[in-house]
Amino acid sequence: MKTTENALQVRSLIKYFHDPQTFQVIKNISFDVKKGEFLSIIGKSGSGKSTLLYVLSTMDTDYEGSLEFNGERLTGKTQNQLAAFRNEHIGFVFQFHYLLPEFSTLQNVMLPALKLGKLSSEEIEHHAYENLRLLDLEDQSLKKANKLSGGQQQRVAIARALINNPSVIMGDEPTGNLDSKNSLAVQDIFRNLAREFGQTIICVTHDNDFARNTDRTIEMADGLILK
Amino acid sequence: MKQSKIKKPTVNRQIAWTHLNSKPGQTLVALLGVTFGVSMYIFMNSFMNGVNQAQDDLAFSTLAHIRIYNDDDKRSYNPAESFFDAGTLLNIRNKKSLQYTDGIKNTSQVISIIEKQPEVTGITPQLNFSVFFRSGSKKINGSISGVEPASENQLFGIGSKVIAGSWNKLDVQKSGIILGKLLAEKLNVGLNDNVNVLNSDGVSKNYTVVGIVETSVKEIDKSRAYLNIATARQFQGKNFDYSSDIQVNLRDRDQTASLVSQLKSAIPYQVESWQTANQQLLAASQLRSIIAIAVSLTILLVAGFGIYNIMNMTINEKIREIAILKAMGFSGGDILSIFLAQAAVIGVVGGITGVLLGMGISAAVNQVPFKVAGLTTLPITYNPADFVSAIVFGIATTLFAGYLPARKASKIDPVVIIRG
Ligand SMILES: Nc1ncnc2c1ncn2[C@@H]1O[C@H](COP(=O)(O)OP(=O)(O)OP(=O)(O)O)[C@@H](O)[C@H]1O
Ligand SMILES: [Mg+2]
Repeated sequence: MKTTENALQVRSLIKYFHDPQTFQVIKNISFDVKKGEFLSIIGKSGSGKSTLLYVLSTMDTDYEGSLEFNGERLTGKTQNQLAAFRNEHIGFVFQFHYLLPEFSTLQNVMLPALKLGKLSSEEIEHHAYENLRLLDLEDQSLKKANKLSGGQQQRVAIARALINNPSVIMGDEPTGNLDSKNSLAVQDIFRNLAREFGQTIICVTHDNDFARNTDRTIEMADGLILK
Repeated sequence: MKQSKIKKPTVNRQIAWTHLNSKPGQTLVALLGVTFGVSMYIFMNSFMNGVNQAQDDLAFSTLAHIRIYNDDDKRSYNPAESFFDAGTLLNIRNKKSLQYTDGIKNTSQVISIIEKQPEVTGITPQLNFSVFFRSGSKKINGSISGVEPASENQLFGIGSKVIAGSWNKLDVQKSGIILGKLLAEKLNVGLNDNVNVLNSDGVSKNYTVVGIVETSVKEIDKSRAYLNIATARQFQGKNFDYSSDIQVNLRDRDQTASLVSQLKSAIPYQVESWQTANQQLLAASQLRSIIAIAVSLTILLVAGFGIYNIMNMTINEKIREIAILKAMGFSGGDILSIFLAQAAVIGVVGGITGVLLGMGISAAVNQVPFKVAGLTTLPITYNPADFVSAIVFGIATTLFAGYLPARKASKIDPVVIIRG
């Protein structure tokens, strides 16, 4: 079966929003993402990109169709099972960089790994520092997260998404707040992770240069994928 | 790679700790709520215990736990009934009462029955009767208690209330009498003076004052005198084994019921517990306890509402962060334990400081002068059970108040919050 080489398999995905009135945001989408693929999703504002990404991230379970990760069916699992799965296998960078404001930069990056509990806190701290260095944030590591600039916060969110070496990293405009230099740096990091560590990257972006830099681009319009 | 595993409860506790520290003001307010509730619980109960204790000390300085006496009024023997058929119309004019029995004639026998009960700690017979005290031309209405000095003192500790002379003189000097302080003042007599006593049979006799007693009960100080029971029997013309009352004390004065029913079947006299004789005492102390518990639980409840509000606020403020934690893979149970841990810290720390504050308040109140009825300061009695229940109630209230918002937090759907 070819499912084993697919990191992600989406079949007949349909999603509705019911508020204020019922409408179909995602209209029967099917696609695969290969392991180690660097995929970008583009499309007009309101076309359903974020909505799709939330379904892929397993946070949104209110959809029709099916979702498989590495051949494992995730559709129908309980919230707690999905939380544990996310913790280990998915790194997520939100469209609006969500950090825990009361914690330091370093703690924010460490938290998913502490939750996973596979390494000692010294080892986790070491990894966290490496990730922060990669994103040029070493000197910010002990600052409270709410004291950082928007771009810095977005980079911390990326460092956090990488901490557990997830098999899939998802970003909703992960470079939206970054200048071109930092944006390029992030793109290089993602490309590197995909090529050298076989991690799968899925990014929603408005940046055509970013999209051109990826292995494949999916374009969405009105809840459908344009071929 | 090292084998050491970081358990997730540690992360949860770290997060809880960071939350507590990042809003020290709110944490302090919640803490003070518990502290105040617990300290009031301790203070109210210690104070009420103190009041009950003082009230009991006062009451039981003259009241025994069980009193045995011969109540002649209760006998209603009607000889006519045994001579005529029921239903016969009788016309009895000017019916006369006959005194069949009077007092307890076989005191030592009754005492030996009571002595066999293991829960009995003290027994004393008394011969109580009304008299007139006379000194010069003064004539004062009062009563005499004929007592066995040693056992009377054992039951009521009256020896320590003798302010002039000595209680033991009653034993050695058979013609000695001990007077209540106000009675002595009214009669205008002092130690070694003579007092004339006149009983209802018209017998009169002189006794020498060997002591003056001051109890905390004004009524007694005004009218009561003590004789040796042997002297009293002589004066009343009674036999050597006669008494009017036998007073009995138990190890636990709250456990009179079973002994009363046992003695009732073994002794042909009235056996009465202090609870039946003094229902107002029992009612008052029970009411005080109820008030203490009601007030302190109300305070704890209010503190609980405060904590509930603060936790609810915190969770509404942190709703995004909770969503992020869940997005990163924290389960509902993790979120619940993060917020319950915060409540637990507030409960335990508030409980401990509450106990300390409660003891402080109680100690301070115990210094407030209050010179009424034998007291010198406001009474406080510490009861270990109150401390335990204060801490238990404090922590339980906090955990419950924290649980409701924490459960709400654990049910947050992250995608709803993050999508905005
Ligand atoms: N919670 C919601 N309830 C109802 N409708 C929603 C909700 N969230 C999004 N929508 C609608 O669903 C559609 C898709 O939204 P989505 O956020 O996926 O767009 P997007 O492609 O990510 O746009 P953008 O590029 O601006 O981020 C939009 O029409 C939006 O108005
Ligand atoms: Mg979007």
